[in-house]
Amino acid sequence: MAKRQKKSRSVKDPLYSPRRIRPRISALLVDWMSWGYIAYCVVYLLNNYWYHRYVNYYGTLSLPDTWGWLVVIIATLELAAISHAFGHSIGLSLFGLRLLDEEYRPPRFKQRLIRFLWWHLLPVGTIVGFVLKRQPGLFHDTRSKTRMYLIADVKDQIPATKPRKWYLTHRGAMILALITATFWVGWLVTEINLGAFFGRMGRSAYIWKDLVTPSFAHFIVPETKMTVIGAAPIELTILGGIIESVFMALLATVIGAFFAFPLSFFGARNIMGFSPLGWTIYGVTRGFFNIFRSIESILWAIIFAIWVGHGPFAGALALTIHTVAALGKLYSEQVEGIDPGPLEAIAATGARRWQVILYGVVPQIIPSYLAFTLYRWDINVRMSTIIAIVGGGGIGRFLFFYKNSVGVIPDSWNQVGAVVITIVAVVWSLDYISGRIREKIT
Amino acid sequence: MEPLLVVEHLTKIYQRGEILALDDVSFTVNRGEFLVLIGLSGSGKSTLLRCINRLIEPTSGRIIFDGIDVTKASPRELRLIRRRMAMIFQNFNLVRRSLVMTNVLAGRLGYANPWLSALQKFPRSDIEMAMANLKRVGIPEQAYKRADELSGGQQQRVGIARALMQKPDLLMADEPVSALDPATSNSVMQYIELMNKEDGVTVITSLHFLSLARRYGTRILALKDGKIVFEGLPAEIDEAKFKEIYGEEAEEVEIR
Repeated sequence: MAKRQKKSRSVKDPLYSPRRIRPRISALLVDWMSWGYIAYCVVYLLNNYWYHRYVNYYGTLSLPDTWGWLVVIIATLELAAISHAFGHSIGLSLFGLRLLDEEYRPPRFKQRLIRFLWWHLLPVGTIVGFVLKRQPGLFHDTRSKTRMYLIADVKDQIPATKPRKWYLTHRGAMILALITATFWVGWLVTEINLGAFFGRMGRSAYIWKDLVTPSFAHFIVPETKMTVIGAAPIELTILGGIIESVFMALLATVIGAFFAFPLSFFGARNIMGFSPLGWTIYGVTRGFFNIFRSIESILWAIIFAIWVGHGPFAGALALTIHTVAALGKLYSEQVEGIDPGPLEAIAATGARRWQVILYGVVPQIIPSYLAFTLYRWDINVRMSTIIAIVGGGGIGRFLFFYKNSVGVIPDSWNQVGAVVITIVAVVWSLDYISGRIREKIT
Repeated sequence: MEPLLVVEHLTKIYQRGEILALDDVSFTVNRGEFLVLIGLSGSGKSTLLRCINRLIEPTSGRIIFDGIDVTKASPRELRLIRRRMAMIFQNFNLVRRSLVMTNVLAGRLGYANPWLSALQKFPRSDIEMAMANLKRVGIPEQAYKRADELSGGQQQRVGIARALMQKPDLLMADEPVSALDPATSNSVMQYIELMNKEDGVTVITSLHFLSLARRYGTRILALKDGKIVFEGLPAEIDEAKFKEIYGEEAEEVEIR
């Protein structure tokens, strides 16, 4: 132990410092949660297949409601503790921990058993042990003569052993169980029905037939039957619609990028993480990015269609909001990924913080900013083609209109075919162009 | 004459790893000196240099630069202090995508009018000074190339030109030649020596090779595990001292 301390020049007791205790707690929580997840899946499957035998009327396990949940929580915690004492669990490998005895060898079975049993007396035992015997250390550690080490601390001491096949390790088997349970439960939850998929194929045949025989009747001749509730009838051609969409996307991207650029510095840890105020701004900015990004443009379009009225303006606003948040996050990550060396050098000349950003950060991020902005334009063009379904304007108005007039207008699906072909052609060519430009700048 | 730099009981503990990087380090640097820091990787040389201009905040101790307490300086005072102590780096730390000229002018940011610098404009005198400094380090023809088009030795010379722009009293060099080949190393060291001899700039530099340290240093400071284990003239490092600093298995290699 003394030797190790000297080597890493550690200031405190290496085994029980917060840096070494925190991963142990995190690892336990991770394993507890994975056992809990497996328990949930098992209950779900029991409920699904053996409803009458093991599961009560309410679809839960036949445990009393008053304390049944407590049993599940404690049982999964026990399972997690067993995972830690007897095997190398997901949590332990995730946080780089390894259970070894005092000579840095894998513990024997008896030691593991003692460790698991005495673990239950951890809070009481640790205090008693410290008061009575002046013995520092966690109770189950000292009793079983084993320690939970950070691998980083002891990697020189651990003897190299031949690893087992991955599916024979506790971790591998656990991951396999998690994946299996997830797919099994997921299959049931999403009500996957292959019979319907293959058996009812013929029902949509007429749509496919109409879609591949498109009618370009309104490509340049306006469609006059289109109306928006509470507004004058609009006359729109497919060509006009796609132009509207492309410009919506263009404006949303440019304006969005304009706002995202300054915000991205507030959302970058390496720029803001120097004071409590900085961390607060960072947190608020990141929070803004995450919340506004997870609300899809379609939802924003619903809000703005009511706010500013149906039409391309509402769509452009919706796309802009989403663009600010999405680009802001992507930009911030670029700022966080830059080479810190030049910043250090410019700060060392006595420059102000914003000068460091202007001269050290900005030149480094410009190419990836351009690439991301072009990429975002791609996404916005694609979004703008459907955003009209909720009142956003652009070519999607046709999709909305024809969807509502199936059966009224005889060739509506043929017209939809024309709209889809136009969208594909435009998205494809813009995608190609922006891809070529991105190749050139990065 | 009062010393240019006084370091008193400087200690640095990295909180994350609870690593003691500098352990009660005290020394003084006189004006005009060429002080060389030696020691193994991880012995605290870089941390020490970065604590002096507070790129890294020291945990405790005092640093007095020309009578001013650096450790107590406000952000504004710190900028004025940093202006007077230039720094060059192992990896040159140039903005690779910017022009050589822009990189050199960045050395002037501490003095520049903030409004003009926001527009990336520098006074004519600064541009002339940058050109003169590039001439001095022998690469005036590279001024309008991008920094990443230059070779390693040329990039480090840009770093020196950037340092010259500050008209510093103190030059700190963190392993300035360890990314360079031996021939280029010597030419870069000679430019640093020229700054020391002609402009009277005090130099503190960390070096990997003891032969370079012997050749250029007027005084040597050896660090081991964050402590000073040797302080004295280059000639005083004999076989025994060398083994103490670098460990038993080390052997001195020559670089020409």
